[in-house]
Amino acid sequence: MSCGSRGATASVANVDADKNERLKALLAACARRDRPAFASLYQATSAKLFGVAVRMLRREDWAEEVLQECYVSIWNNAAGYSASLSAPMTWMTTIVRNRCLDWLRRPNVEIVLHDDEETGENPLERMASDDPGPLENLAASADARALAECMALLDAKMRQAIALAFYDGLTHTELAAHMRQPLGTVKTWVRRGLERLRGCLEAAA
Amino acid sequence: MQYRNKPELQDRLAAEYALGTLRGGARLRFEAWMREDAALRRAVEAWQARLAPLAEAVPERAPPRRVWQAVERRIGAAPAAAEAGWWDSLAFWRNWGLIATGCTAALVGALALRAPQVVEVPVIRQVEVESRRMQPSYIAVLQAAGEKDDRMMFVAYAPRHSDELWVKRMELPEEPHNHSYELWGLPAKEGEPPVSLGVLPSNEKSTIKLAAAADQSLRDFPALAITVEPLGGAKGGKSSGIVVAKGHCMRFW
Repeated sequence: MSCGSRGATASVANVDADKNERLKALLAACARRDRPAFASLYQATSAKLFGVAVRMLRREDWAEEVLQECYVSIWNNAAGYSASLSAPMTWMTTIVRNRCLDWLRRPNVEIVLHDDEETGENPLERMASDDPGPLENLAASADARALAECMALLDAKMRQAIALAFYDGLTHTELAAHMRQPLGTVKTWVRRGLERLRGCLEAAA
Repeated sequence: MQYRNKPELQDRLAAEYALGTLRGGARLRFEAWMREDAALRRAVEAWQARLAPLAEAVPERAPPRRVWQAVERRIGAAPAAAEAGWWDSLAFWRNWGLIATGCTAALVGALALRAPQVVEVPVIRQVEVESRRMQPSYIAVLQAAGEKDDRMMFVAYAPRHSDELWVKRMELPEEPHNHSYELWGLPAKEGEPPVSLGVLPSNEKSTIKLAAAADQSLRDFPALAITVEPLGGAKGGKSSGIVVAKGHCMRFW
């Protein structure tokens, strides 16, 4: 798997850095109770975060509620965001994913999985593609490309288990049912997959 | 605690927490443990940073406008209901459109605007009758900047002693992708650069925080304009964008 030319990688990294800095500045302004800055932050990030929530919850009405909760929480906790610890998108994505996981924990929620093979909608495949054509691939950050390359090196089962857990919020038990494997096997795939992922990312850094 | 001094186990749990497979009671216990253990928080943050880029591959999806409206209501940004009657009234603003149209002839050029002519008194009286609840205030009605287009794009209102400028989008189109609208005060003196009043929030009605009370912040600007700028606003306070709307900023008291 190639990584594109060095020049292209460097310019992608610059775009990432610019975007990061802008979002950090907006979050800092939100901490000072600057509402227009908050509106700009919403405008810049809500489509991405709504996409994540819809994917995880599978229902737009739930995703809308979660997104609303999350932005109120982002506004209220902007002062607690520490730029040195995490990138703005990581921080906000984590808030959304955590809220989605809380939502999925409610006893009456039943997860209905879309079959990726039927819908052709597998985010991992989009990301791992090295085709220079698609814009979304160019827009993905250098971090995402590094991660995609490491994910591609995992055994298919490990990759699938991690992707289902991340994108669809499946528990170990749900993974086992969905992948038709014993619980212990699935747990091992997730654990080993994560270990290898870290080894690969550290080697690449 | 059984996990302490077992860095490998800690890291494994941190990874499963960040991925989301640590669930139920175990997740709650882990969160309690995180709150009192900085090293564990760092391990979790490192894993969140490793995995978060996966989210970039999820297709974007614009949430419906009502989500932002609900967020705004919850953080208390929407204008107070007491004055919202005329603020929400389209008929009220149509009158203003007539006033503004009468004055638009005075607006020449994009950002090199000069002081507007005085608004005719009879028309103002008509407006006053319709809006007895209006306080002494500034009002601006901004119209499309195109030559043959006089659609009312945007209105703004600030009570004299308030540092909040209420703004309302009328026919202002949505921002171009990755851009923001920015509101500018245009000084009366020729040659003086426009002064940014803030980036427009993306919702229909909102408020912009002024640097000081309106009778300080707006008194030097006989006209306002809206430009298209890079996302988050013009860099270095200098407008680089295209003017999409402009209009008089009128004082009433």
